Amino acid sequence: MEITMSGIAKAFGSNQVLRDVNITFKKGEVHALMGENGAGKSTLMNILTGIHKADAGTITINGTPRTFPNPREAELNGIAFIHQELNIWPNLTLLENLYLMRPKKNRFGLIDKAAMLKEAEAFCEELGIELPLTAEASTCSVGQQQMTEILRVLMLDAKVVIMDEPSAALTERETATLFSMMRKMKARGVAIVYISHRMEEVFNECDTVTVMRDGHTITTKPIEEITMDEVVRHMVGRSIDEFYPERTTTPGDVVLSVQNLQPKGFKHDISFDLRKGEILGVAGLMGAGRTEIMRAIFGVDDHHGGTITIHGKTLKTKKPEAAIKAGIAFITENRKSEGLILDFSIGSNITLPNLSDVCPSHILKTSKLRTFAETLSTKLGVKTQSIDEPASSLSGGNQQKVVIAKWVGKKPSIIIMDEPTRGIDIGAKRDIYDLMNELTNEGVSIIMVSSELPEVIGMSDRVMVIQEGRVAGILDRQEASPESIMTLATGGV
Amino acid sequence: MKKLLSFLAMAILVIGLVAGCGKSADSGDQKSGTIGFSVSTQNNPFFVSLKNGIEEQAKALGLKVKIVDAQNDPAKQANDISDLLESGVSVLIINPVDSAAISTSVEMANGKNIPVITVDRSADKGTVVAHIASDNVKGGEMAAQLIVDKVGNAAKVGELEGIPGASATRERGQGFHNVADQALTVVSKQSADFDRTKGLNVATNMLQANPDMQAIFAHNDEMALGAIQAAKSAGKDIFIVGFDGTADAEKAVQDGTLAATIAQQPELMGKIAMDTAKKVIGGETVEANIPVDLKVVTK
Amino acid sequence: MDSKAMQYVRKLGPLIGLIILFIIISVMNDSFLEFSNLRNLLRQVSINAIIAFGMTFVILTGGIDLSVGSILALSSAFMAQLIVTGTNPELAILIAAGAGLVLGAINGLVITYGRVAPFIATLATMTIYRGATLVFTDGNPISGLTQDPLFHAFGQGDIANIPIPAITMFLAFIILWFILSRTSLGRKTYAVGGSEKVSYIAGIKIDRVKVFAYALTGMLAAIAGAIITSRLNSAQPTAGTGYELDAIAAVVLGGTSLAGGRGHIVGTLIGALIIGTLNNGLNILDVSSFYQQVVKGIVILLAVLADRKKA
Repeated sequence: MEITMSGIAKAFGSNQVLRDVNITFKKGEVHALMGENGAGKSTLMNILTGIHKADAGTITINGTPRTFPNPREAELNGIAFIHQELNIWPNLTLLENLYLMRPKKNRFGLIDKAAMLKEAEAFCEELGIELPLTAEASTCSVGQQQMTEILRVLMLDAKVVIMDEPSAALTERETATLFSMMRKMKARGVAIVYISHRMEEVFNECDTVTVMRDGHTITTKPIEEITMDEVVRHMVGRSIDEFYPERTTTPGDVVLSVQNLQPKGFKHDISFDLRKGEILGVAGLMGAGRTEIMRAIFGVDDHHGGTITIHGKTLKTKKPEAAIKAGIAFITENRKSEGLILDFSIGSNITLPNLSDVCPSHILKTSKLRTFAETLSTKLGVKTQSIDEPASSLSGGNQQKVVIAKWVGKKPSIIIMDEPTRGIDIGAKRDIYDLMNELTNEGVSIIMVSSELPEVIGMSDRVMVIQEGRVAGILDRQEASPESIMTLATGGV
Repeated sequence: MKKLLSFLAMAILVIGLVAGCGKSADSGDQKSGTIGFSVSTQNNPFFVSLKNGIEEQAKALGLKVKIVDAQNDPAKQANDISDLLESGVSVLIINPVDSAAISTSVEMANGKNIPVITVDRSADKGTVVAHIASDNVKGGEMAAQLIVDKVGNAAKVGELEGIPGASATRERGQGFHNVADQALTVVSKQSADFDRTKGLNVATNMLQANPDMQAIFAHNDEMALGAIQAAKSAGKDIFIVGFDGTADAEKAVQDGTLAATIAQQPELMGKIAMDTAKKVIGGETVEANIPVDLKVVTK
Repeated sequence: MDSKAMQYVRKLGPLIGLIILFIIISVMNDSFLEFSNLRNLLRQVSINAIIAFGMTFVILTGGIDLSVGSILALSSAFMAQLIVTGTNPELAILIAAGAGLVLGAINGLVITYGRVAPFIATLATMTIYRGATLVFTDGNPISGLTQDPLFHAFGQGDIANIPIPAITMFLAFIILWFILSRTSLGRKTYAVGGSEKVSYIAGIKIDRVKVFAYALTGMLAAIAGAIITSRLNSAQPTAGTGYELDAIAAVVLGGTSLAGGRGHIVGTLIGALIIGTLNNGLNILDVSSFYQQVVKGIVILLAVLADRKKA
């Protein structure tokens, strides 16, 4: 199947999201679709699968003009969209999810589980994957759920599969399985549209790349004919010579010392130091326990034994308020559920942990709070018309800046950042890296948990690798490489 | 805009309902000669009959009556009565939720020189031109005496009490015990809030705890009807006496499931209240206490 | 398209509703707008409004308090008993308010430290407090309280022709409005309801904020109870039954979200006025009490639906 979309335009109200998009997806090709958040990638795919209707332009399938009234119709015609939010019923088994819309029946009209199981297992084998088909979906990993959904559309004989950031929630091993599955799909002649922010994946797995910016398709090229730097330049519309800013800070004395800390549910205990002005990267596979360690240090979750010493003082109470008082700030990985109150204005979010600092009398001084929030919002470069807008109105990158702003306002000496750049576009990423540099130059120490190896290597002074709930090793800047980190993370020698 | 539309829809609805009730709200000379009636609740057939008696007699006498329902809440009754006083009535008939709590409302009416007639329950304070009620104490005595006569001296009796603190509960209980404390053995007494379902539950428990119980006196018919069900499920033949004489209870007496009910005559009570109100408007003097006959209804 | 204007309409929605209600009722019956009836209306609204103010705090934190009616009854019985046994009536009002505060704080502690869902916790204490009231009063009303003029004035009196309960209501409104919009405690109340997790991680002592909200509600319920007791010059063991629903209705009518984090006490005042106006207006219009309940229910439903459509 070959799909050509030409001259596609779409506006939501006064907001022109797509202007003049021209793109072709070919049989057996993995086609990367790249662009900053808001470039129009998702809208374009929503138009292809009938979720939205284009204002202008044509879609032809194998040369015949065609549009779909809804996603179900598109799926029945071989075009499937695997969204980031998976379309899985958590209370059903994987098998039931696979056959929910078209159960197999035996001659008595009853559901024939054996036949379905047999067919599904055959498919799994063909694609080289293993799935606990009879387990309830909620008990399976996100990776397994995602594979189930891919399997479901392949069983419907999908010819074009669109995947939106499929690797974002997967472990390294699951990602590898995903890629091998994609190669098998490709061999069967399936066209894959691959939306991703991860440069390595795109350059390793894709055949063609199309870059979008501001609702236009900027360029489409075979992967061999383009470099990462060019892609980035097309995406942001400017050249970024050096993506990661140069680290110039020299770490000083130890400010945080964690000794024999055993977070709840851990078999081993954790010890490490953090020095003044240092960025300590924390790497490891998904599920290795990095987040849990950080939550235990900050007092969000419980821990047994061990000591946390900050500037020579031992932290006594296992509560965030105590950690904050001691000078720690914590930027969690769940921006939307733990970082921001989405209904609150940007200003109220920024001032939330700072109320008693700005207004020690506990009576709010509106103008003081406003100045405080505006100063931080400007310093962090939050793109908004006014700090009175709700936090929910911002893009992911700007929301993250607001989360950082509210903590920077506390003037912490230690900031723990858990996946600080997850799901945000390249421009905002660079802003956050610059800010981290600036903060460490001012003497702040940062612990950065990240699943993106280039980020860990590019930003950290030292890298702590966590493997199955223990510290597998701490690498200096010179020693840290993708190979050395992965060796430790996977428990190799 | 949708919100505005919704509120307009609501406005139309209010108008529609008011018109639908057929109670014209046009102003005019209605203020003089209108009678206000505040009833304690309409969740009980007794008070519905009382209201019906008032409405029918008002129609017969050509008087206009405004009726408000306190839903058993003394604070709401205070509000209702101040609303009635605001809208201008010449006589106030009150069926109090609570005798103590109604006093301030009666005093308020006194302050505005609006004569007050109380029905069924009295007011502790304030000036009332007439009080119309069944003699509850006497009714309680009649019930106990009936049990003594029919079941025998020292019979084992359970007592289903009304809402704790309500004057009917107090007076009927008092009357009952005046006789029962000497002539009967009260093995259990529990409140069932004048409610049929609670009557069923409480009576079931009583019969469970006292298998040799011979008779039950319920402070109203609703609870007595519940007790009949309880006796039936326990497979026992219990001599049950209710109070009020509602239509359901009289039917149960005819069927033989209820031994007797001490019948109040709420319609008659309402009728007498209305007659008294008319006399008050006409400037006649009326009796301060107007008793309404009770009668024992048996098969 | 003009979102600013729409936001304005949305904020003003309950007020517009109240005004329309006023217009309709006054057109249909001219005694409604008479000054004496407006006074009467304010007096009637004050009790529900005072309870609903507290309920606003609780609902803003994402909770609910079903026990307000029972707290009202228990604290007023307690107060009446104190007065009957010779305590100075004004002092008794203060002690009753303190008792309400304690009863409310117990709710808060059960919910925070006991980790019981607010609906369940206050459902339980609603029953416990009501039972305690019946035990305490032996099911009888406590009457014959006092002839103390100040105590009588608390529920029945006027200052400059304005009923004292209404003045109490406005005073409470001003203080609570200030707490909610001008203090860090108020901001934290919103934050806890907006997202408990975010607030916890931001170092807010969420347990304290919640206990405060329930204790405040308990105290306000007790104050409302004192007004009722003064007004009826007796304490009723069954007083306040079902008041939690009227209070919740006023809060919701005022545009506060039951999910917490969104809404304001100004809306609650208007919501209480709408309910009070309906009660008073429909009585004045001589609408049958059965229909009155239908109308009240429909108004609540319409208000909530109108709010939903806006979102």
